[in-house]
Amino acid sequence: MSAQPAPGGAGVAAPEVALRITDVGMRFGGLWALSEVSFDVERGSVLGLIGPNGSGKTTLMNVISGVYKPTTGAVTYAGKRIADVPTHDVCHLGIARTFQVVKPFASLSVRENVAVGAMYGRNGGKRSTRASFERAQELLEIVGLARVAERPASDLTIPDRKRLEVAKALALDPDVLLLDEVMAGLNATEVDEALELLRDVNRRGVTLIVVEHLMKAIVSISTTIVVLAEGKKIAQGAPSTVLASPQVIEAYLGSRWVKRQEQLKTIEAQRAEAVQIQPPEATA
Amino acid sequence: MSVASTGAVLRKIGLGGITGNRTALLISLGLMALLLFVPLALPGYQTLFRTTLVFVALAYAWNMIGGYTGYVSFGNMVFFGLGTYCAALLSARGIDNLVADIALAVVVNAAFAAIIGFPVLRLKGHYFGIATLGTALAVTDIVGNLDVFGGTGGLAVKQVDEAHFAIYYYAAWLVAAGAIAITFFVARSKVGYAFVAIRENEDAAAVLGISATKYKILAWAISAAIAGAAGAVYARGNGFIDPSIAFAEDFNVYPIVMTLLGGTGTVAGPFVGALILSAVNETLGHTFLKLHSLFFGAVIVLVVLLLPRGLVWLIGLRGGVRTWVKSLQGYKA
Amino acid sequence: MHLLAQDLVNGILAGGILAVVALGFSLVWGIMNIINLAHGAFVMLGAYVTWQLFTSFHLDPFLSLPISFVVLFVLGYLIQRFIINWVARAPVLTTFLLTFGLSLLVVNIALLIWTGDTRGVTTAYSGSNFTIGGITVPWAKLYTLIAALVITGVMYVWLHRSKTGRAIRATSMDIGAAQLAGVRVAQIYSIVFGLGAGLAGVAGTLVSLSYSLNPAMGQPFLIKGFVVCVLGGLGSVEGALVGGLTYGIVESFASQLDFSIGSQHISGAGLQDAVALVVLLVVLIFRPTGIMGRATA
Repeated sequence: MSAQPAPGGAGVAAPEVALRITDVGMRFGGLWALSEVSFDVERGSVLGLIGPNGSGKTTLMNVISGVYKPTTGAVTYAGKRIADVPTHDVCHLGIARTFQVVKPFASLSVRENVAVGAMYGRNGGKRSTRASFERAQELLEIVGLARVAERPASDLTIPDRKRLEVAKALALDPDVLLLDEVMAGLNATEVDEALELLRDVNRRGVTLIVVEHLMKAIVSISTTIVVLAEGKKIAQGAPSTVLASPQVIEAYLGSRWVKRQEQLKTIEAQRAEAVQIQPPEATA
Repeated sequence: MSVASTGAVLRKIGLGGITGNRTALLISLGLMALLLFVPLALPGYQTLFRTTLVFVALAYAWNMIGGYTGYVSFGNMVFFGLGTYCAALLSARGIDNLVADIALAVVVNAAFAAIIGFPVLRLKGHYFGIATLGTALAVTDIVGNLDVFGGTGGLAVKQVDEAHFAIYYYAAWLVAAGAIAITFFVARSKVGYAFVAIRENEDAAAVLGISATKYKILAWAISAAIAGAAGAVYARGNGFIDPSIAFAEDFNVYPIVMTLLGGTGTVAGPFVGALILSAVNETLGHTFLKLHSLFFGAVIVLVVLLLPRGLVWLIGLRGGVRTWVKSLQGYKA
Repeated sequence: MHLLAQDLVNGILAGGILAVVALGFSLVWGIMNIINLAHGAFVMLGAYVTWQLFTSFHLDPFLSLPISFVVLFVLGYLIQRFIINWVARAPVLTTFLLTFGLSLLVVNIALLIWTGDTRGVTTAYSGSNFTIGGITVPWAKLYTLIAALVITGVMYVWLHRSKTGRAIRATSMDIGAAQLAGVRVAQIYSIVFGLGAGLAGVAGTLVSLSYSLNPAMGQPFLIKGFVVCVLGGLGSVEGALVGGLTYGIVESFASQLDFSIGSQHISGAGLQDAVALVVLLVVLIFRPTGIMGRATA
């Protein structure tokens, strides 16, 4: 667990918990997509959520953002259970998310798309139309879309649409931002740009929960990693620890791979021993 | 052709926010001002223009729920009809005051829309449309059967002011002007964006903090209020109403066609469409009495196929005919 | 007691037609996600086709069943193929308004051809009844019910056994998978829409036996078809049948309502559309997800 000092506080204050996931289980028909998942998300951290395909990552994201009501357990934020809050109020709590399938408001301009979030998000009530548009423009600068502010949203390229998603989510002034595979479909340069953007957002005080398949991306940005496999949490901790964990490796690469690795190690060790037993041939 | 090229087309037109093309709006306002002089300059055509203004108001009413919010309503004539009966009932009780008529019509219809809207607006998109049609037919039935509404025999509606016939014209003009003003203010405010967001993607709108049910009900209540006011004014001018007049099919269909033709989701659209179609209707009416509805049906089909965004969109379109033709390819399977 | 049983029987007899109406409507809605506002107009056309054949050639209505099916099927197929398909990928709103416009066109063309005068089909057996256990059953209505059940049964078998029928069901479940399996989706859509129209036409023929005709007669069937679909579920033959019969029974009982509030006399017979609305609202309030989950926000 990272020990970031609380702003303005002397010494190390206990990390504040933003989101608490307690014993969450999700059942669809006969299948438990998630079971007994528990962890806390620290305020200000970047939590990477990884796991092989079908491990339940998107389901968990949906539970956290209130799209699904968990069959067991609860996700609480600031003491409130998210499942109890209607969809349109989730952002007013302080939680925002991006979606994998990006569908902006097609006949509105890019700026208008973001402005809608600024109008109706957490601080929307206090904002006038003009103020919302100004805020939208600010956010477009941050994500790098200012040059296309006037264009219809349907006109954007895929990477730009992803940026728009992030901008719209930011317009809600969230404390916690859930990013669901926001880097899918991006090339290497675009991924680096996206990572820089996310770091910037995190620096501004937003807690991030990131679901990604790109290991390099997750490792470079996360302070903590949670690993899911078959709906259960199998590891949690700092990136280096988690990725070295045998269970995680096994989950990704399978038990046969692990056995093979062990076989190879044994062979290697035997070979090394064999070399040592034989006296060196060449003498000076 | 994909969504991207439709976007390229839209880019050329300069969207003008959600109010729509500015030129069209200015022209419409100018024409509205001109219409003020009809009782003075063309007194013989007063009734005709008065009816047109009623349709203008109805078109704006439909535009609010159908054009901006994307919830097609086939039952808006209910509000118009109820509005006419509000005036009639007030008249029956000896209250002959246009302000009271409009006030009552607005309150009754907004309330009715909110109450019916609660279960019905939980339906999405076109399911809502059929439900409104059902509501309209049901209310027509009920009103026709209740004695207090004069049953099928109808009710007489007393004159408000025997001396000045033009007062009905100006009342209609005021309601129409009010409708335009309300639409303008909604389009420029946050509320307008909530409506459009719901139209474009209701789920995404909810994620951004918009309570879809609340705003849908609001849109429908505004729509109902405008339609009701139009009805109240119409009743007074007509002198008599019964279910076949108050809930006539025309009051349902025409506003939809007018808005579709003029431009849904814009401020100028309903006015443009209403004016054009009223003119055509008048011209046709003398020659082809039976063909009204047929004509309007054909207009709807043609507009939907060829000009789905309406004329106001076309006015602002840079790139002319070729861009328009390109845009038609966008929806083919 | 007799009265109740009579109402029940009346309801079932009327419900058969509603089931056929709803079936066509529900197929188009369930498989293509199109709410065809011209469906009522198609019913009306079927009735007029029967009337015309009866008046000009003295063809018995039951014999005109296949004819009205074919005529309406072809009409529906062409409309989908050349008009609705033009805006296939547009927002749902567009298609909705399009079918609305088409319905206006069809009704008004009918008005031109046949005028607004009320028409009727009167056969030799039109007025005759038989009585069983104190309950009067008109022969025409009984035949209608039998025909309706037969048609529903045939549709069920066809959808589940025939190659095209299974292709249709595959398309409704998963377009992508169906295409990979070699189904030509555009063709299927045209067939389904034609089928919907054909079934409406058949229902219209059945209607002509018991009700009078006029160009505006289709609208109540549109509404009731919609409500029956909400009741019984989309895209399923059983749902349309059960929903139709249930609705028929409810409507029959409701039309017996006859009471007074103060000096106001209320008779259920004239309030059929109100009944439809009430049923719809009740279903929506007590099962807000509808019987088909995707209806609500």
